[in-house]
Amino acid sequence: MAEPKFHKADAKDLLDDRGYRGTLIRGQNPALLMEKGVRDRIIDSYYWKEQCFGLNAATLCDRAAELKFIGGTSGIMGKPTPFLCLAFKLLQLIPPKEVILEYLNFSGDEGYESDEDRPKEEPRNADDEPAARNGDGSRILDPNAEGKLGEFKYLRCLAAFYIRLAWEPVEIYTTLEPLLTDFRKIKRRTKNGFQLTYVDQFIDDLLTKDRICATSLWKLPSRANLEDLDMLEPRESPLQEEADRSDDDDGDIELLEREEMEMDRDSDAGAGSSEQGD
Amino acid sequence: MSSQKQGAYGGAKTGGDTHRKTWDREEYAQRAKDHDHKSKEESKARYEAALAGKKYHRRASTPPDVRATEARQARLDVASRVGTTVLVGASAATGKRGKGAGFYCEACDLTFKDHLSYVEHSNSIQHLRAIGQSTEVAVATLEDVRNRLLWLKRKRDEEQRDVVVDLDTRLERNRLTEEQEQEEKRRKRREKRKNKKKADDDNVMKYESDDDGVIR
Repeated sequence: MAEPKFHKADAKDLLDDRGYRGTLIRGQNPALLMEKGVRDRIIDSYYWKEQCFGLNAATLCDRAAELKFIGGTSGIMGKPTPFLCLAFKLLQLIPPKEVILEYLNFSGDEGYESDEDRPKEEPRNADDEPAARNGDGSRILDPNAEGKLGEFKYLRCLAAFYIRLAWEPVEIYTTLEPLLTDFRKIKRRTKNGFQLTYVDQFIDDLLTKDRICATSLWKLPSRANLEDLDMLEPRESPLQEEADRSDDDDGDIELLEREEMEMDRDSDAGAGSSEQGD
Repeated sequence: MSSQKQGAYGGAKTGGDTHRKTWDREEYAQRAKDHDHKSKEESKARYEAALAGKKYHRRASTPPDVRATEARQARLDVASRVGTTVLVGASAATGKRGKGAGFYCEACDLTFKDHLSYVEHSNSIQHLRAIGQSTEVAVATLEDVRNRLLWLKRKRDEEQRDVVVDLDTRLERNRLTEEQEQEEKRRKRREKRKNKKKADDDNVMKYESDDDGVIR
């Protein structure tokens, strides 16, 4: 059967906890990925009723482009941020993977028309992009995801958050890890105030923490675990080369230190002998 | 009275029984056929539903000009009338029905007392039907999403083109706008004074003559 061409404007079907018949995520209703309390607050919030009604994957970009901060809930009443409301909307829409990748890596150049021109497909030159292939086998889903690709950084964060909630572990690691080289500043709403953070910091939180943006994230198998199961290749850090070099330097320093110490000892011994001579 | 005889229904001349309604036989035959076909389909669907152990519900007919529901283009306007006074008829609204004090929905002829119930109403199926929308939203394809993002980027770039980071230029610009505002204020004040003076002059009884009141 073809894809349905329409979906409901409201979230009635999603919130029907007995007769939900839509797409499942890991065998359950996607709405359950957020906790009951925060879910209710989202549905009661004015932003949800006014701005999230009747959105589809394209019009959601309008709202995401207007985002000014990420975050979970704020204030004593636990008012949900627009970021969280839009994430919940994404859980209702469940856009296909390519749409999410477009959110994540929209580059803003209008050059490509056809699919062949898209930079996403294959790296032009494997030597230029060393992280394009991780080791020999496993390919990172999107080599161009590195650096400052997502034109709208809050849209990028939103997509990353959704990926962490909805996708499979291997995909999560391969898709989100290239984003660890995105060092742009972002604003984060805390319970009472704002905090400065960075995109890579947020991604790292997504991969390592179990609770973020007022949502308890589902238990992601650790990277080491997946590597043991041969589902993931070991991650090569962009700083690896530098770390190796500094290791070498450290070795040199140690050598130097040892030589110096020996020289000192020799000189001390020389001094002692001279004293003895007196 | 006209000499020419006209039929009871105007236009056609009497002669024979042409005043009777003529029936388009083909059209009605087609209608009957359609009706038969529809009822046959329906009974089939009912039979299948019964086999599956379900109850058959006939789908309500969709108006032909129904549109897909779309996301709001702008914020709901809830604050524009703050501080204004509106006269409301004493018996204008009973309950929510009719136009009264509050947020009025034109399409449904309902009035709401707060913006939360108003926005809830504007999301309701009742309202969407009244403004001729289906309650469904078209699914966006990858192409739609990309075009949207490109459009957003162009829009943002255009907005940012006017933004000047240089402090001196911004100070200069602020000074100019301030001067303009001052000038505007001054002009208004002058006009007001002039109007007042004119009104005062009008109130004084005047005697006008052609030759300045000189008696010759």
